[in-house]
Amino acid sequence: MTRREGPPRRSHWPPVAAWALAWICLFALDPYLDLANKALILVLTAAVAAIWSGPWISLLASAAAVLAFNFSFVPPRGVFTVDLHQHALLLVAMLTVSWIVALLVTRLRWHAAQASAHSLRSDQLRRLGDALRAEEDPVLQAAALQDVLSGIAGSPTTLWLAGASHDAAGGAPVMVGPATADEAAGLRLCLQEGRAMGPGTGRHEEQPAWYLPLRGLQCPHGAALVRDTADAAAQAGLLAHAQALCDQLGSALERAAALRAASAASEQAQSHALRNTLLTAISHDHRTPLATILGAASALHDQGERLSAAQIRRLAATIVDEAAQLSRLTDNTLQLARLGAAGLAPQRDWESVEEMVGTVLRRVRQRDPSQRVKARVEPGLPLLRCDAVLIVQLLDNLVDNALKHGGAGAPVEVLARHRDGQVVIAVRDRGPGVPPALRGRIFDTFQRGDSIVPPDDVDRRPRRGAGIGLALCRAIARVHGGELRLRPRAHGGASFELVLPVDVMPDEVVRGDSGGPVP
Amino acid sequence: MSLGVLLVEDDRELRATLSEALKVEGYRVVASASLADARAVIASALAESGIDIVLLDLGLPDGDGDTLLAELRRERGTPVIVISARPGDSQKVRLLDAGADDYLVKPFSLAELLARMRVALRHRGTLTRPATVRYERPGLLVDLEVRRVYREGAEVHLTPTEYRLLSRLVRSAGQVVTHRQLLLDVWGAEYTEHTHYLRLYMAQLRAKLEPEPADPQVLLTEPGVGYRLAEPGD
Repeated sequence: MTRREGPPRRSHWPPVAAWALAWICLFALDPYLDLANKALILVLTAAVAAIWSGPWISLLASAAAVLAFNFSFVPPRGVFTVDLHQHALLLVAMLTVSWIVALLVTRLRWHAAQASAHSLRSDQLRRLGDALRAEEDPVLQAAALQDVLSGIAGSPTTLWLAGASHDAAGGAPVMVGPATADEAAGLRLCLQEGRAMGPGTGRHEEQPAWYLPLRGLQCPHGAALVRDTADAAAQAGLLAHAQALCDQLGSALERAAALRAASAASEQAQSHALRNTLLTAISHDHRTPLATILGAASALHDQGERLSAAQIRRLAATIVDEAAQLSRLTDNTLQLARLGAAGLAPQRDWESVEEMVGTVLRRVRQRDPSQRVKARVEPGLPLLRCDAVLIVQLLDNLVDNALKHGGAGAPVEVLARHRDGQVVIAVRDRGPGVPPALRGRIFDTFQRGDSIVPPDDVDRRPRRGAGIGLALCRAIARVHGGELRLRPRAHGGASFELVLPVDVMPDEVVRGDSGGPVP
Repeated sequence: MSLGVLLVEDDRELRATLSEALKVEGYRVVASASLADARAVIASALAESGIDIVLLDLGLPDGDGDTLLAELRRERGTPVIVISARPGDSQKVRLLDAGADDYLVKPFSLAELLARMRVALRHRGTLTRPATVRYERPGLLVDLEVRRVYREGAEVHLTPTEYRLLSRLVRSAGQVVTHRQLLLDVWGAEYTEHTHYLRLYMAQLRAKLEPEPADPQVLLTEPGVGYRLAEPGD
């Protein structure tokens, strides 16, 4: 991209050689050719020499050649006088044809140079456009423009970007390239006014450099300093071209700023939605266990002496159960809030599926000692790169759901296997399953499967707490680059399947039963 | 003489409730609400009747527990149980790595607390007394003195690494041992980030020692923290 525009370099040797050859021929063939033929040779030479020479040189050379021809070959030879009118006409015609040829060649050459400069410029614009699209970092985008501008001007260029950093607020201005205090002030002024300054721009013509704004549709997003423009300014259209290049970066910066603003707005909207969700969760789901706890505790407190030992035990057991329920709800709500917070990444490590499933089983046993939950983990599963605390919480919620909704006393199965380069952990029950109408929404917050049971069935009223559970489960699956799916089972019941990607293990792990990696 | 418990907890209600419950269990309880307070208690109580175990809540008003833990560890081997507010707390793991004996995540039941305290007190002073050398529970016997492991009466062959890993857990039976501690003691200092070694060797151990590896009863996992060998009596 650093090809420099300018007049093509001309060599003086070809025209000199052409003229020399022509005169040698003329003198050598003098006895054999008549005057008209010699005149033709001279005109031909003038045309050939014009291809390499500039217009003025061509004109002068032709004139000199015609004079010399007159002197050497037109009778009377040896003097500049011409006897015959035909000969005078011949000389004038020679001179005229030579000049016309020289002018035509010059025009042609000018057009060719224009076309070439034009193609070079459009090529530069196109390549800059490609570079800007390929690069997201504004500083690197600026470097691409800097490269092109320096190529045009033949001297280093400095760019000043207003608020080019990646954060939504816009950030601090960035200077790309060196600038003196004066130059920096010029750049700031140019950015402020949004208009070009320097030679050929009509403003601050005395400046030795161009100050070009990086214009976007709405406002300039920076300014470019193109130094040493005395040479470049002479070329028609170069200023406009440089401005077009700068505007391209301006548009790119504007695009990036718009994207940042949009993403910030969407993040904010999401966080609003999340906050509402959490508030609803707390008001709906946390109040009921709290009410139960308060009821039981105040009964113990106020009626202590009048209660039987069995009643006291029952009330205390209620408090313990409800507090455990509330604790679980709080864990889920907090975890969802944390996952919703921008920029929070799970703490990943190499984890074993067998261990995570084992941990879930142990926890479930402590709450539900009925041994209804069975696990089958395919041997030789790969380790997963994940946050074990989160995955255990996810599976724990799924198993808890299956125990609650899967029918009293019915078995619940946790099944882990390797399939198509992924690990699938399914939690399956033999309950009534999830009705088709609810399947699409079951992972949204506050879908509790209420419609599964008739509202008058008091014993099987919708259980509390699933409101946020499945939404959290899906959120956990997704931060791991995985997915949580619901699959109805052929003979009744639901299967919630967690699909997690398998990362490549570090090489040095030895799976054999040898001593392994022992120092 | 009853055992002395220093309870460092800034929440007044929880402090009162736990003090009450521990007194019922026969412990002598000294409660303090901040690190400065706790230091003063240690300075005075050590001279008098002594503190046998410390329950240290994280997130105290005047800083985290690192310095207090270091002081306790330097003075004498008083067991410390860390009480953490949330499951994914990295400070908790840091304190365990620094030598705390065990941890509990709020909310916890009294039964859990008492069980952790019992184990910690049993391991108290392992620096001076001989380490636990024999681990026995129904169906499993590990004898570190003769370097033998028996499952259902039949000897189990372990590789050297498996054996080192198991014996490290046996020495802290009932207590959590962090990933870092295990990697450090079994593989060495340069392997403390290689958690995947642990996963693989624990799986091998489970396959050899557990009747159902996916539903372990002995080699228990503490997600994000480490491993715990079930208490012999569990």
